Amino acid sequence: MIELRGLTKRHGGKLAVDQLSFDVRPGRVTGFLGPNGAGKSTTMRMILGLDEPTEGGARVNGRPYRRLPAPLREVGALLDARAVHGGRTAYDHLRFLAVTAGIPRRRITEVVDLVGLTAVARSRAKEFSLGMAQRLGIAAALLGDPGVLILDEPINGLDTEGIRWLRGLLTGLAGEGRTVLLSSHVMSEMELTADHLVVIGQGRLLADMPMRAFIAANSETSTVVRATDQDRLSALLRERGATIRPDPGGGWIVGGLDATAIGELANAQRLSLRELTPRYRSLEEVYTRMTRDAVEYRTARHAIAGGTETSS
Amino acid sequence: MTRHPTVEVTTRFTGVLAGEWVKLSTVRSTRWAPVVLVLVTVGVAFLGGITESIQRGETILGSTANGSVLGMLVAGLLGAMAMSNEYGTGTIRATFGACPRRLPVLGAKVAVVATLVFVVALLACAGALLTGLAVLSGKGYATGDPLPALLGMAACFAAVAVLGLAAAAILRHAAAAVVAVVGVVLLPSLLGPLFGAWQRWVVGASPMAAVQKLAQSTDAAPDAPGGLGPWQSLGLVGAYTLAALVVAGWLLRRRDV
Repeated sequence: MIELRGLTKRHGGKLAVDQLSFDVRPGRVTGFLGPNGAGKSTTMRMILGLDEPTEGGARVNGRPYRRLPAPLREVGALLDARAVHGGRTAYDHLRFLAVTAGIPRRRITEVVDLVGLTAVARSRAKEFSLGMAQRLGIAAALLGDPGVLILDEPINGLDTEGIRWLRGLLTGLAGEGRTVLLSSHVMSEMELTADHLVVIGQGRLLADMPMRAFIAANSETSTVVRATDQDRLSALLRERGATIRPDPGGGWIVGGLDATAIGELANAQRLSLRELTPRYRSLEEVYTRMTRDAVEYRTARHAIAGGTETSS
Repeated sequence: MTRHPTVEVTTRFTGVLAGEWVKLSTVRSTRWAPVVLVLVTVGVAFLGGITESIQRGETILGSTANGSVLGMLVAGLLGAMAMSNEYGTGTIRATFGACPRRLPVLGAKVAVVATLVFVVALLACAGALLTGLAVLSGKGYATGDPLPALLGMAACFAAVAVLGLAAAAILRHAAAAVVAVVGVVLLPSLLGPLFGAWQRWVVGASPMAAVQKLAQSTDAAPDAPGGLGPWQSLGLVGAYTLAALVVAGWLLRRRDV
C-alpha cells in the first residue's frame, strides 16, 4: 500500500508535482500515466525517499520510506535501468545490494534465474542491451521479495517475449496480493497489464479509477449494429436522434444511443439484430485526448496568469 | 514465487559496511588503486635510492616521506572514486534505496576506505623504507626512527583518502573531486611562497608537511614548516578532514539524488 497526501515538489519556481493525493492498493497493477515531464518520476523518487517533498508526503505500508527498518524487504524499485556501474557484473551489482540489505546470497541466484539473466550474470553491465539492463533492474527490485513494487518504464527495450513475460510476472505478483505501481508510455501494453489507472498532467491528478471505468467514462458511446432489415432500423434510429455512419467492417456505427436502447427499440419493432457491439476507444485514444486537453487547459491558464503579472 | 517466509531481511550497519566493501572490490578503478599506491610509493623510493637523491644529513625514512607525494595522490583518488563512482553512474540511488538514512552509507564508506588505505599505505611506506635501505646500504645515511612515524604516515594517507571521499560527496563529480584532492596535496607547497609571512602556515597545514615532519624526527625540528610538531600537524589534517566530512554528511542528508 502506498499513500500520497498533498505530495508537492517545487524545483525553483516550477511546480513539478502539485498536491498529489492518491492510494496505490495491493492486489492489482496500478498504471501510472502522464506525458513527459508530468512528474511521474519525481513522484516515484519522493515515494522512495530520494527526493524530499516540498510539501506533503508519501507513506509505504504506513511509514515514510526513510523510516522503513528493512526497505528492500518492503519495497522494490526500478527507476532507471542504466543506473548501474558499467564496470560491475550483474551478479556483483545484486550482491552489493543483497549484502547491504542483509538478504541471503541464494536469493541473488533466484532472481537472476527468474529474470533470465543466468547466462550473463558474470558479464559487466556495460555490455548489456537496454532489455537486459531492464531485466537486471527488475531482478534488483525483486531481490528483497517485497510486497510493494515501483517500476518506472520497465518495458522500454524489452523484446516481445520480454514484454509478455513482464506482463505475466506483474499480474502474477499483483495476484499474490502485492502492490504494483507501473509507469509506461506504451498504452497498448498498459491496457493489457494494469487494472487501475492513475493519470497525472503537469504534476496534478487527472484521474484515479479502474481501467474499464476510465475508458468508458472518457469514450463517447458508439455501437456497431447489423440488422437483417438495416434500412428500416436506420430510419428508426435517425427518428430517435441517433447518428449513423457505415462501419468499414460491414454494418453501421451508431452514436447517441447506447446498446440497450438500440436493442429495446429493435425488439419493440420486431427487427432481428445480427450484431450489437458496444465500441470502446482504446486506452491510447482516450489517454491522448485527455492529456491533450489537460495540457491545453494548463497552458492557457499559465498564459493568463503571466499576462496579469506583467500588467499589475 | 511464494510470499513472506522465503527471505529474511534486516538492514544493519555491518551489512552496509560489507556492501561498501563489495562495491569497492568489484570495479577496476578502486580495485587497482591500492596496488598502484604501493607501486608508485616503492617505485619512487627505488628511483630516489639508485640516483642517491638524498641530502647529507637526511635520514632514509625522511627521503622516503619526500617521495610519498604520488602515493598520497593515489590515496586521495581512491577515496574520491569510492564516492564519485556512485554519483557518476546513478548507483547512489540503489544504495540509498537499501539504506535510506544515508549517513550510515557515508560512515561505512569512510570506515572501509580509511582502513584499506591505512593498511595499504603502511605496507607501501614500509616497503619504500626497506627499498631505500637496501639500495642505499653502506653509503653512510642514517635510517631514522621508523616507529611510530610509519603509523602516522599511514594515518595521513588515510586522512587524504577520506578527504577525497568527502570532496566527492560534496561536489558529486569525479573530475571536480580529483582536482580538489590534488589541490590540497600539491598546491600548498607550490603556492606557499605567494603567502609571504604566512608561507610557514600554509605549507605546514598540508598533508605532505605532516608526513615529512613525522618522518624526520619524533620531536619537530624548530624550523619545521608551520612550527607545529609532527603529531599536531597530523591532528590538524585530521581536523579539517573531519570538518569536510561533517559538511559532506550534512549535504548528503539534505540533497535530492
